[in-house]
Amino acid sequence: MSDLELEGRLAHVTGAASGIGWAIAQRLAAAGARVAISDMDADGAVARAAELGDGHFGIGADVRNMEQVTAAIEASVEALGGLDLLVNNAGVEIGKPIVETGEEEFAWLMDINVNGVFRCTKAAVPALAASAAAGKDSAIVNIASLAGVGGVPLLGAYCASKAAVIRFTEVTAIELREAGVRANAVCPAFIDTPMVERLAPAVAAMTGMEFGDVVAVKQGRYGTLEEVAEIVAFLGSDEAAWTTGSHYVLDGGLSGGLL
Amino acid sequence: MAAKLEGKIALITGAAQGIGLAVATRYAAEGATVVLADIDGDAAQAAAENIGGSASAITADAGDEGQTAALIAEIVDQHGGLDIAVANAGVALVAPAVGMSLEDWRKVTSINLDGVFLTLTHAAGAMAASGGGALITIASVSGQAGSPLIGAYASAKAGAINLTQTIAVEMRDHGIRANAICPGFIDTDMVKPHKQTFADALGLEAMGIPDFDAFIGMKQGRYGKETEVAALATFLAGDRAGFCTAGVYNLDGGLRAGLL
Repeated sequence: MSDLELEGRLAHVTGAASGIGWAIAQRLAAAGARVAISDMDADGAVARAAELGDGHFGIGADVRNMEQVTAAIEASVEALGGLDLLVNNAGVEIGKPIVETGEEEFAWLMDINVNGVFRCTKAAVPALAASAAAGKDSAIVNIASLAGVGGVPLLGAYCASKAAVIRFTEVTAIELREAGVRANAVCPAFIDTPMVERLAPAVAAMTGMEFGDVVAVKQGRYGTLEEVAEIVAFLGSDEAAWTTGSHYVLDGGLSGGLL
Repeated sequence: MAAKLEGKIALITGAAQGIGLAVATRYAAEGATVVLADIDGDAAQAAAENIGGSASAITADAGDEGQTAALIAEIVDQHGGLDIAVANAGVALVAPAVGMSLEDWRKVTSINLDGVFLTLTHAAGAMAASGGGALITIASVSGQAGSPLIGAYASAKAGAINLTQTIAVEMRDHGIRANAICPGFIDTDMVKPHKQTFADALGLEAMGIPDFDAFIGMKQGRYGKETEVAALATFLAGDRAGFCTAGVYNLDGGLRAGLL
């Protein structure tokens, strides 16, 4: 056991110029990993990588575009010298009732949250498998959501996309087991993020309860970005070498209770 | 090494061997003061001496309320509190549920469900008095699906998972977290003698699968290791998992991810 539990780990985190992705990138780097940050915001990705210091890498990529995804993964493999941890974090939300959601915006969300995970996984598997073949623990961690476990009003498209990510993770795990690549999903409940801040008023109006009160009762408090990053660091380390195909909930007990 | 459980007082039931011993060993390595409880007091004592440092052993039957209450009272008395309790003690009985005697059923459920209840409820009481703590139940993926030949074991594990979640929700405001770990098949002494029985019951020969080990390879890659359960139990016991409660964490090489 080293103080640095991810020493020598070569990681790629998508959507990591801000929010949960950035918290994950920082946590992995602090644990000794070399981190590639990709984001639609190319300048942000490069700046964040520089912020992490020498040995890290930043690049622009839109997960809606297979060519960009492939190029970004290849460039990060080249820059870091390989890849043994992919964190699929890039995602978006829509906060509207299903019947008011437009067909195009539904497709836009799915293209990012589901197809984006598919594209990044597909592009990264050769490098991940090569890493496993070289004897390293090799893993994918998908940032799903508790919204993929149960229904949340106003988050129909988002819930559907995250449920798809959980099932996709399971099949990824089974298909890649022989190749030595693990795949797990993380399902955070309401975390203190701008996304939740954007949703709160609409959810409050719909449920008739103050959002902060609901959170306090159902999950004790908001989760933090750092807590999401901790569970990603655990699942992405060889401490979790036999964990694959699972989705790990992180919700202050929200989904553990019936009511 | 940054110790993850420095200064914590931890109780592990059924700690003389197997997963319980691995958890106790890892917790001690992470800086915790560990108390190994087991019905086999001599084995627990030997294990505690082997771990060394501040590790100690207490003889206790996990299915006995008086002994469990006394065990926890003694820990609080000796160490000033209890921060982590791992309800691990368990027994297995390999036999079809149909035709099982009530006596046999209760041999399993009195430890694997009643025993978990006793450990969790008494530990939670002690923790609530001192500002909180972490409860961990060593359940099983068998608690999530029909499990031929281990019906009593699996039913008790299902109950233990639910109880863990219920206590988590009840005790959230007391700063107590409770989580269940669900391992797949570990190559423990509970599994080893019964491989052929499982192979026959599962119809492996008819599917062209040579033996139970080969089946395990297909379903979960390999057998898990006790140390891997201990690693997850360390994560869940520590402050890193402060937002994890009422969770059910599978660790099974992908066993539960697949339908077939």
